[in-house]
Amino acid sequence: MKGLNLSYEKRKGLYGYGFVALWFVGALMFFIIPVIESFIYSFYDVKPDTGKLQMSWVGIDNFRRAFMVDPDFRVNLTEVLGQTLWQTPVIIIFSLFVAIIINQEFFGRTFARAVFFLPVIIATGPVYAIITGNLDTSGTADADQFSSMFSADMVDQLLEFVGIYGFNDKLTDMLSTMTSDILNLVWKCGIQIIIFLSALQGIPTSAKEAAGIEGATSWEFFWKITLPYVSPMILVNLVYTIIDTFVDPTNVVMEQVLTVQDDWKYGFSAAMAWSYFAIVLLAVGIIFAIMNRIVYYDD
Amino acid sequence: MAESAVKSNPFSDLLKKAQSEKPPKPEKRNRKEERERFKKRLATLTPAEQKYLKRKRAFEMVWPICRGLLVFGLCFVIIYPLIYMITAAFRPRADMNDPTIIWISKNYTLQNIKDAARTMDFWNTLGNTLFINIGCSLVQVITCALTGYGFGRFNFKGKSILFGVVIMMILMPSQIILIPQYMFFRYFNPLGVYHMITGNYINLINNPLTMYMPALTANGIRAGLFIFLFRQAFRGLPKELEDAAYLDGCSPFKTFIQVMIPNAGSTFLTVFLLSVVWYWNDYYVSTSFFTDNSTIALQLKNLDASLTRVIFNNGNVKVNARELIVWMEAGCLISITPILVMYIFLQKNFTEGIARSGLTGM
Repeated sequence: MKGLNLSYEKRKGLYGYGFVALWFVGALMFFIIPVIESFIYSFYDVKPDTGKLQMSWVGIDNFRRAFMVDPDFRVNLTEVLGQTLWQTPVIIIFSLFVAIIINQEFFGRTFARAVFFLPVIIATGPVYAIITGNLDTSGTADADQFSSMFSADMVDQLLEFVGIYGFNDKLTDMLSTMTSDILNLVWKCGIQIIIFLSALQGIPTSAKEAAGIEGATSWEFFWKITLPYVSPMILVNLVYTIIDTFVDPTNVVMEQVLTVQDDWKYGFSAAMAWSYFAIVLLAVGIIFAIMNRIVYYDD
Repeated sequence: MAESAVKSNPFSDLLKKAQSEKPPKPEKRNRKEERERFKKRLATLTPAEQKYLKRKRAFEMVWPICRGLLVFGLCFVIIYPLIYMITAAFRPRADMNDPTIIWISKNYTLQNIKDAARTMDFWNTLGNTLFINIGCSLVQVITCALTGYGFGRFNFKGKSILFGVVIMMILMPSQIILIPQYMFFRYFNPLGVYHMITGNYINLINNPLTMYMPALTANGIRAGLFIFLFRQAFRGLPKELEDAAYLDGCSPFKTFIQVMIPNAGSTFLTVFLLSVVWYWNDYYVSTSFFTDNSTIALQLKNLDASLTRVIFNNGNVKVNARELIVWMEAGCLISITPILVMYIFLQKNFTEGIARSGLTGM
């Protein structure tokens, strides 16, 4: 390097390549080439053979089969999309709320924090699936017990007490699915809470002091100070939540892709996975475009 | 006389006076005073200001109670399955059918734990998992840090395209690339010439190399996210640090090791912990690369199938699903214990470190 007469900036740039090189080799082997290969598979009928895969060209047949012929794929797809649609905002609002609470000083905060991050440790593994399954079979039914605390029935009873009967069954239905899923929701919020917490700690003290001197109530403080400063992280969390829900190996579409894969129908499963991924990417892109206009950047 | 006595001991009177006075009840008096002061202050203010102050006081009094209830309730929701896990893991299986027992069993037994440990071949599996888990995490932290440093601190041609690949690594479901990866490891062909020379392929399935090779090249489980975290952390460090090191004659690599790493300690810890957790919990990638159940997560995933086989020496015995729970919960308990212990010890660093890991420097 000494013999070459390069400018300081250029030489630094070369070092940059050096730092990234190892990753790039790996990405080529374990990411880029596999991605391209699986994209190619989706246009072929693929059968396993020694040393390589036997492939015969079928064009867009795999995609057509996924959307037109297969009875489950479209149903599963709409289910996952619908689920994501209502879960994501609930998760975001809930985790922001929790983050604000555990950012305050109170007795037992360390303990509360440790508990709220516990799902990050446990929920990604098979343990979580077993736990929830067991609670269901043993009739210690998680959901029902909790929902009686926050209950949709309570809403109904309250309305009946006021004198309104059979008010809006749909609303009650929606509320009860939400409340009965509360265990699931709480367990999905770990990372989001962490991200919001780090954003809350990043709010500059000058802004807090100014709000204090002007006499802002906590309500005003939330809307005028917290929300704008946290908004970039809302975007990050939105994207993270969507990806996490979509990629979750326990959701129905992923399960279907895997079952088909186990039946050695690589081409068909690749086609399903790719159309699924395209939809995810589209959704993330739209949300990013919309949110990016609303988000407030400090600098 | 009296005068001289006072003069000679000027403090005695004061002392006596103070002693004779009953100590005031500080709580009550203070509050009363405060309330009066508050009322006086209110009187000098405009009605709008009065309303504001009243509301603020009311909120400050009610909020801690609400907060306490909320935090307690939510913590309960999270801990609930764990409490159930512990109570179920230690109860004899017959008690599962007793409707009077929900939480506290009449008898306790360690048999379930022993059975589950035997079924999972616990100690061997644990050793194996730790080998893959800790090793891959350590390697991955180092390689991801190098990559993240390259992205965060240097400008070079094509950087944005390469970083786009990192973002795609975060977004892309791993299911898409699993089959090509499987073929890569099943018919491993080093440098592309091994097959030409020997006419054979190397079968790497069931070999820890399937986990180590991606980790060694910063492409392991969720590596994209870790590279992103490191890039954010390194980008947030002041430029003066780097310049000072260069002026002192450090090469970029030496600068990285001696100046940058010590300043990004919390990010290193965070990434290491998350990496350990995700390798520990992974059954998804390892299912396809390991045909035998050689990690804890895989054992746990297949626990219900292997339980009847091992405990009753017969895979055809049908056990009541409710009774099976005791072993399942016992299996869960022993397999999360190591990671829970780690969490309890490092919990403070983890929660504090992750909040400061530079995520906000978007």
